[in-house]
Amino acid sequence: MLRTTTALLATALMAGTASAEEFRWAGQTDPQTMDPHAVSSAPVLGFLNNVYDGLVRMSKDMTLEPSLATSWEPIGAGEGWRFTLREGVTFHDGATFDADDVLFSYERASDETADVRSWFSPVTEVRVVDDFTVEFYTNAPNPLFPASIANWMMMDRGWAEANNATRPDKEAGNYATLNVNGTGAFMLADRQPGLTTTLVPNENWWDTAEHNITTATFTPIQNPATAVAALLSGDVDFVEPVPIQDAARLEATDGVNVIRGIETRTIMLGFSHEADTLKYGASAGAPNPFRDVRVREAVAKAINVDAILQTIWRGSAEPASQLVTPALSGYSATNAARPDYDPEAARALLAEAGYADGFGFGLMCPNDRYPNDEAVCQAITAMLAQVGIEAELNAMPVSNYWPELRADNFDMYLLGWSPGGSLDHEHPLRFLASTPNEEKRLGSWNFGGYSNARLDELLPMILAEIDPAARQAMLDEVTAIYQGEHAYVPLYVQPLVWGTRDNIELTQRPDNFFILRWVTVN
Amino acid sequence: MAELRVETVERAVEKGNWQRFRESDFFYSFKRSPVAIVSFAVVCILVLSAVFAPLIAPTNPFDPASLNLMNGFTPPMEPNAFTGESFFMGTDDQGRDVFSTILYGMRISLFVGAAAVLFAMTLGIVLGLVSGYFGGWTETIIMRIADVQLTFPSILVAMLIFGIAKGFTPVEYRDQMAIWVLILAIGLSDWVQFARVVRGATLVEKRKEYVAAARLIGRSPWAIMVKHILPNALSPVLVIATISLALAIIAEATLSFLGVGAPPTQPSLGTLIRIGQGFLFSGEWWILFFPACTLLALALSVNLLGDWLRDALNPRLR
Repeated sequence: MLRTTTALLATALMAGTASAEEFRWAGQTDPQTMDPHAVSSAPVLGFLNNVYDGLVRMSKDMTLEPSLATSWEPIGAGEGWRFTLREGVTFHDGATFDADDVLFSYERASDETADVRSWFSPVTEVRVVDDFTVEFYTNAPNPLFPASIANWMMMDRGWAEANNATRPDKEAGNYATLNVNGTGAFMLADRQPGLTTTLVPNENWWDTAEHNITTATFTPIQNPATAVAALLSGDVDFVEPVPIQDAARLEATDGVNVIRGIETRTIMLGFSHEADTLKYGASAGAPNPFRDVRVREAVAKAINVDAILQTIWRGSAEPASQLVTPALSGYSATNAARPDYDPEAARALLAEAGYADGFGFGLMCPNDRYPNDEAVCQAITAMLAQVGIEAELNAMPVSNYWPELRADNFDMYLLGWSPGGSLDHEHPLRFLASTPNEEKRLGSWNFGGYSNARLDELLPMILAEIDPAARQAMLDEVTAIYQGEHAYVPLYVQPLVWGTRDNIELTQRPDNFFILRWVTVN
Repeated sequence: MAELRVETVERAVEKGNWQRFRESDFFYSFKRSPVAIVSFAVVCILVLSAVFAPLIAPTNPFDPASLNLMNGFTPPMEPNAFTGESFFMGTDDQGRDVFSTILYGMRISLFVGAAAVLFAMTLGIVLGLVSGYFGGWTETIIMRIADVQLTFPSILVAMLIFGIAKGFTPVEYRDQMAIWVLILAIGLSDWVQFARVVRGATLVEKRKEYVAAARLIGRSPWAIMVKHILPNALSPVLVIATISLALAIIAEATLSFLGVGAPPTQPSLGTLIRIGQGFLFSGEWWILFFPACTLLALALSVNLLGDWLRDALNPRLR
C-alpha cells in the first residue's frame, strides 16, 4: 500500500515538473477571429503567427527568412516573384501543403471579403508552375513584395472547402473563425472567444522547435492593472502591455522582469473626409466641417502632444510627425516637424473656416486596443474644447470599434498603425492614404475616404522604384502632401512595455507580435 | 360661538403638527439613537454638498475646456511639478480636481439613485396593489414575473436592460440618454421588493371592515386602493425605499465601474473609482481613495438610516 502511494506520489511529482512548461499569458485584446485573412489587425495576425505559417516570415531582428517557401527570386526584369515551396509540410489535420493551397490562400486573402486584400494590390496574376513552385506577377517591378506578404498565412483548400469557409467572413464568421488548420508550430486545442485560448505544440512541425512549452494558454485581461496583478501573483507568466505607470514598480519587484522597447506603431487621429454631414454630437446633421483642410489643421494645432506624453505617458513615448516612425524605412526626415501646439492659431483657423462659434461632433475611441487609448481621447476632448469645438467621446471595446468605423459611423477617430510585414512607409500609404479602391485593393483601412490624385499617382511608382534616392524623394513628396492636407493628425509613437516572470525567456519583436515559439520556460 | 370653535381647531392643528412630531415616538427614538443622528447628519452634508456643488467646487470638472492636462496626477495638498497649482484632494489622470469631481459625481450618483428608487417604488406599489386587491390571474402573472426576476442578481438584470436600451437608442443620443437608461435599468431591476411588500399588506388590509365599508358606499377599486389601503401599507415601503436607495447608488457605481454607466466625460463616483483603480499599483492612491470613501460614507449612512427607520416604524419592536 505504502509503496503504491509512494509510486503515485512520484508520478504526481513528475507530472508536476512536466507541467512546469505550461505557459500562461495575458494580453489586452482577444484576437477577434482565428481566420488569418478576415481582419488585418496586430492582435489577430500576431496571435495567428503561432498557428499558421506564411511563405516567408520575420526573424527576431525583423529580417526576412524562409518559412513555407525555401527560396524566392525575381522573374525576368521585375515582372514578379517566383517562390519555391518547402516539401513534406503537412497541415495540423495531416493534409499535405502544396502550390494549390498557395493559390487558394491567394484567392481567399485577395477576395473583397478579406480585410488583408491591400497586400495584393500589386499582384496581377498567380500561376502554379508545379506542385512546389508558384509565380506571382506584379503590375510593376516590386522589390518589397516578399517582405510585404510576411503575414499572409497559408490555409488548406480541402479543409476550407469541406467546412464551407472558402471566403473569410469578418462580420458573421464561419468555421474558420473558431477553428484552425495551419502548418504552424502550435495547434489550437481550445478556443473560447473572450475567455481563454489554449495552444499545444505541433509535433509534426517542419521546423525545429526552439521552445519547451507543453501547453500555452492565452487569457485576455482588458484592464491592464488587473493583468499586472495577475503577473505579480504568478497567475500568468507574461503580460502585454504593462501600463506605463506600473513599469517602474514592476522593475523593482523580485521575480518579475520588464522588457522595454519602441513599437513600430504610430497613434493618430483620422477624419471623415467624404461624409456630407456630422453624425454625432451637438451639430449632428450639420455639414461636415472636417472636409475643410483649415479645420483639420486647427485640430492638429489644438492638440498639445507634449502634455499628453508628459503626463499620460510619463515621458516615455515620442511625438510623431508622419504615418511611420523614424526607425522604419522610407521615413521622411525632411518632413520630421509636426504642427506646433498653438491654440490661438487653431481658433483663428476655425474662425477663418466659418466656425468661430465652434461646433459639436463625435470622437470615436477604442478603450481596450492601445495602451491609454481612452485617457488620450479624453485629453484630446478637453484640448479641442479649449479652442471651441466640442467632441462627444464615444469609447468602446475594439470588437465594436472596427465595425463602427467600417460602417462609417464616425466624425473623427483614433487609430494606431504599425506596418506589419514590409516595415516601410509604403505600407500605411497603401492602407491609409490611397483612395479606397475595391478593384485595386487599395485603401482598405482608409475609413475616412481621404483622396489625393498626386498621391495615388506616386504610390505605384514608389512600389516599383529600385533606386533608393529616387524612391525616398517620392516618399518625401507624398509625406509633404498628406501632411499639408492634414489627412491624419499623427500624435505619438507608442513605447512597448512587456512584463514576464523571471523564469521566462522570450524575444520582443518591435512590431509587438508575441511569438510563442521563442519562449523558454526555465 | 361658531367662530371661536374654528379658531381653536386651527390653532390646535398649527401647533400640533410640530408639537406632535416632537412628542412622537418616532422623534423620541431618533433622539435616543446616536447611529441615526450621525448617519442623518452625514447624509445631509453629502446631499447638500452635492446639490450646491457649483457653489462649493473650485472647478467644474464636467467642462472639458477648463481642464489642463499638465495638472494630471497632482498629489493632494502638494503643488504640481509643472503648473505649481495645488489641489485639496489631488487630481486624476486628466488633471481634473478630485474634490470637485467627487461633488459633481455625487450629483449623478444621488440623482440616478433617487430617480431609480422613485421609479421602482411607483411601479412596485401599483403592481403590488393591483395583484393584492384583484387576485386571480392578474396576481399570478405579476407575482410569477417577480419570482423569476428575483432569481437573477439585480445587477445582471440592470445590465441586461441597459444593453437592450442602448441597442434601441440611436447612436447620436447615447450619451444624453445614458443617465436615463441607467435609471430605467436600475429601477426595473428593483421593483420586485416593493411589489411583494405592498401586495402582502394589501392582502391583509382588504379583508378589514373599513375596506368593506368603502366598497359598500360604492367607491371605485382605484380609490379604495390608493386612498384607503395604500396609506396603511406605506411604512414598510418607506423602509424599503431607504435601503433601496443605498443599493441603487451602489448599483449605479457598479455599472459605471464596469464601464457601462455614466459617460467618461461626466464621471459619477463609480467611474472615478474605475479610473483610480488603474493607478493603484503606481502609487496614485488618491484618485481611488477619496471617491471610494465618499461612496462608502454615502451608502453606509443611508443604509444605517434605513435600518433605524425599520426598527422605529415596526410596532412589534416598540
